[in-house]
Amino acid sequence: MSAKGDMVYAWAADDAIHQKGECGGAVTALLTYALENGVVDGVLTVKKGYDIYDATPVFITDPAELAQTAGSLHCGTVLLPKIIKKYLDNARNMKIAVTVKGCDAKAMYELAKREQINLDNVIMIGLNCGGSVSPVVARNMIQDKFETDPDVVIKEEIDKGQFIIETAEGHKGISIDDLEEEGYGRRSNCQRCKTKIPRQADLACGNWGVIGEKAGKATFVEVCSEKGADLLDAAVKAGALVTEAPIPKGIEIRGKVENAMFKLADKYRAKQFGELGEGKDRLKFIMDETSRCIKCYQCIENCPICYCVECSTKKAHLVTPGQVPPPFMFHLIRYSHISDSCVNCGQCEELCAMDIPNALFMHSIQTEMQEMFGFEPGVNMDLPVLALVEEQTERKRLSDTGDDQIYNIFAKDKK
Amino acid sequence: MELKYVQTTCPYCGTGCSLNLVVKDGKVVGTAPYQRSPVNEGKLCPKGTYAHEFINREDRLKVPLIKKDGKFVESTWEEANALIVEKFKGYKPDECAVLSSARTSNEDNYALMKFARGALKTRHIDHCARLCHASTVAGLAAAFGSGAMTNSIGDIAESKCVFIIGSNTFEQHPLIGRRVMQAKRAGAKLIYADPRYTCTAKQADLYLQFRSGSDVAILNCLMGEIIRNGWEDKEWVENRAKGYDDLKEMVTKDDYLPENVEKISGIPAAQLKQAAEWIGTAESSALLYSMGITQHTCGIDNVKSTANIQMLTGNIGRRGGGVNALRGQNNVQGACDMGALPVVFTAYQKVTDEAAYKKFDDAWGFPDGICEGKNGYEVTVMMDVLTDNPGELKAMYIMGENPFLSDPDIHHVEHAFENLEFVVVQDIFLTETAEHADVVLPATCYAERTGTQTSTERRVQMWRTAQAPPGEAKLDWKIIADIGAAMGYPEQFAWETSEDVFNEMRALTPSYAGMTYERLNKPEALHWPCPTEDHPGTPILHIGKCSHPDGMGVMHAIEWKPPAEVPDAEYPFILTTGRCIWHWHTGSMTRRSDTLAKEVPTGWIEINTEDAKELGIADKEMIKAITRRGEVEVGAKVTDDIMKGVMFMPFHFAECAANFLTNNALDPIAKIPEYKACAVKVEKITEA
Repeated sequence: MSAKGDMVYAWAADDAIHQKGECGGAVTALLTYALENGVVDGVLTVKKGYDIYDATPVFITDPAELAQTAGSLHCGTVLLPKIIKKYLDNARNMKIAVTVKGCDAKAMYELAKREQINLDNVIMIGLNCGGSVSPVVARNMIQDKFETDPDVVIKEEIDKGQFIIETAEGHKGISIDDLEEEGYGRRSNCQRCKTKIPRQADLACGNWGVIGEKAGKATFVEVCSEKGADLLDAAVKAGALVTEAPIPKGIEIRGKVENAMFKLADKYRAKQFGELGEGKDRLKFIMDETSRCIKCYQCIENCPICYCVECSTKKAHLVTPGQVPPPFMFHLIRYSHISDSCVNCGQCEELCAMDIPNALFMHSIQTEMQEMFGFEPGVNMDLPVLALVEEQTERKRLSDTGDDQIYNIFAKDKK
Repeated sequence: MELKYVQTTCPYCGTGCSLNLVVKDGKVVGTAPYQRSPVNEGKLCPKGTYAHEFINREDRLKVPLIKKDGKFVESTWEEANALIVEKFKGYKPDECAVLSSARTSNEDNYALMKFARGALKTRHIDHCARLCHASTVAGLAAAFGSGAMTNSIGDIAESKCVFIIGSNTFEQHPLIGRRVMQAKRAGAKLIYADPRYTCTAKQADLYLQFRSGSDVAILNCLMGEIIRNGWEDKEWVENRAKGYDDLKEMVTKDDYLPENVEKISGIPAAQLKQAAEWIGTAESSALLYSMGITQHTCGIDNVKSTANIQMLTGNIGRRGGGVNALRGQNNVQGACDMGALPVVFTAYQKVTDEAAYKKFDDAWGFPDGICEGKNGYEVTVMMDVLTDNPGELKAMYIMGENPFLSDPDIHHVEHAFENLEFVVVQDIFLTETAEHADVVLPATCYAERTGTQTSTERRVQMWRTAQAPPGEAKLDWKIIADIGAAMGYPEQFAWETSEDVFNEMRALTPSYAGMTYERLNKPEALHWPCPTEDHPGTPILHIGKCSHPDGMGVMHAIEWKPPAEVPDAEYPFILTTGRCIWHWHTGSMTRRSDTLAKEVPTGWIEINTEDAKELGIADKEMIKAITRRGEVEVGAKVTDDIMKGVMFMPFHFAECAANFLTNNALDPIAKIPEYKACAVKVEKITEA
């Protein structure tokens, strides 16, 4: 019987899945088991589209189709949770398994606490993620820095601080640091991210910490919830998944890798937030950058915190319609409604038609608000600083406690 | 429950962005980014974000309609086709005219072109390119031997100096606007010339505000400055251009000195000099243009002038340079490539060229031959012929076009249509033009078809079927093929799939010959020319040599001429027309998209603050705008963002249709109307 906190090396019992999968195919085996046995009705994940740079979200109800989702795609910059809210009926009527990077996992919680996803019906298979690279940036990078035709690359990998490509001729790696210095490499929000092992999922899976003879052939799985434990045990019991205890040194290494990535993220945060300036300078910079906005609405449509049917930016008395660029109020509404809960998923920036560094701005505000109010978005179901509440519940709480604050913003000892 | 993403390309502008259509249980319910596209990298403009909203509207055309006693009655394909065949058989070939569609696929356009020339045997086929880039097709063909955008969208971002004249790029080609801003962030200078201080203007390093219709003067002036300062690319001019001496003589005339062009255009001499310096000394300079250049009685002259300056500065055939004619419609480039023009077959092979004529005649194999090997009428000429020589043209077949809102001088169009005996309109909604038809045929929209379309950078990309069409709507090419077969040519219209149509077309089309659906089914797709199946396509034209047989670029010495109608005592203002980011052309799709329609529900006329004060007109006041052609009641938008003496109206809105006011004056060769300049007066509306 597994429990939260347990760690194992795991791999698929099925040969085909074992071969096709990344590091032993444990994730694919878990998903296949869950779908085949009715634990879930569907799997929302990502598959390779046209090529290794093209990650396409896919909703699978036929277990036979899961094989095509095996493997890793470092150019997979898609965010899955909002798809559940928009197109899968908020997971109200069906059980869904979802593969989640750190940002996906955080987005899932923020949508859930806004009642946009029923987390009871969702199993989150977490994937370690050191960061993803936008597809066209990756191709340009491979052409310019690796001096290789991106079309001949068979596989790409991010390992030990390097971006590595494999062609028929062999492997070639360049330090991520060097690449990112020149504007290539991971998306900037990924550079700042500190959710590399998504423990808010039900299971957290990856290849960090798999050493010894199982290196490259097994997945490191950390059990993060009862739901995760149940799935793991059931899959093992059914013979779909094989596990063994991890090598202790491996656990240590995994911890070191995570910490190293945290340090790197701190460094990027200091640098990127530092470049924003302060006070009026920062405001001027933001106003200049947002003056390019063409009101394409991609930031709002893709943001996992944005869920309102009647968006305030579409209210004529707040934002005069039909103007390009829209009045600055458009962006102020975004900052004031979203920033306390921004999970730094980066969608608003990657998809901005005018390359406005939206995630940088939003995340910079969020980190400061976290310091002020102690609220960390995306880790659990705690309500955010700015939250919608039921009137009757609120009135009862007020009369029961005499306290008119859902969230005590004045508590000095909150961390 | 089935949820899937279908990757396709946007149906709106010529940038050619890719996006995913989200399909739930067989119906399109939304859009999602397609990050893999090299053109737009997952990004979209608001039209693209909401490109799903009109698709499943209740008022999609679902069954054929026949007009009986002045009202439309629902019919069947059998009855409608029988009526169409009967009617068209009763007309002589040249009594028929065909308007093709810059919004449908290459396959649809090829099919209609074949139908027009082979089944109806008429010479008169055209489409709305006539109204927008006809001057480009002719002008750049004269200069370079190829009438299309010379460079690719991506390499604009590498330019060191971007000169935009006659294009509000942020609003009309937003994801190309992105490339301009990328260039700027990498250190490029941005020069922007427009009578209006648009959102694109606001990003410029140098904003040149000028009076509509002074483009040749401005460009000649810039060229004169470049030559006087020795900034021209002497090597290019000597080795790759013809006609330099005549050009030099023209542009160095006193008429085109900055001090004199200031008087013509309104641009201060110092700014003209600055622009010339930046363009002349930049490592690479890209020129972007659109309707501001083309929609004039001297449209071809304007286009040739843009070619002149780029040749003069050696900015042809290299990255970051080029004459970047930004085609408007999603597939206007393709419609032209497919020969939906009265003077050419596909790939600009001339109708009057015996070898080309024979090639198509033989390949198609119509037992009783095809149209005469003579040029036919352009759409603007068709309208003139209908009013000036009634009885010559009797019937018209229209696919995906809305001349009742998009043609100049709408009263003239109304008059023209009165003289048509039989009109068929094939569309997805009952447009203003469809209301005037005798038969209306329901067609598929972009989400319901597999086919190809060609963007402004000559990139041929796929549309993929995401859902079934509503009711009995059919693929455009299938509608045409069925009628063609019913007219007695089943073998000539025997295609079973869009791919069949494409393959037949490419066998006759050198620039597309190397393309196949398999090769196009990749994110990069292919830029034409792509003559063979192992050819990688051609992102940048005229590298090393131009496309004329002798490889030389042709410079033309051009005198500036004012517009056909200039302000006078009675009509003291210049009226210019254009678009906005929220709506697409006649609004048949965008005005039916809730999000877009809410942003901008109706039209307006922009009046400079000072002019408004003198006229006693307040912002948002409903006023009358009047020209010699007609009058329109429209709301005033009083703003500093438009030049004093100039007024602007978007043409999207039927209830205040700008084209009631515009002038049907045409470029003598391109036959493109002068939408960008006519004379207008405005009056307050007084209570009766």
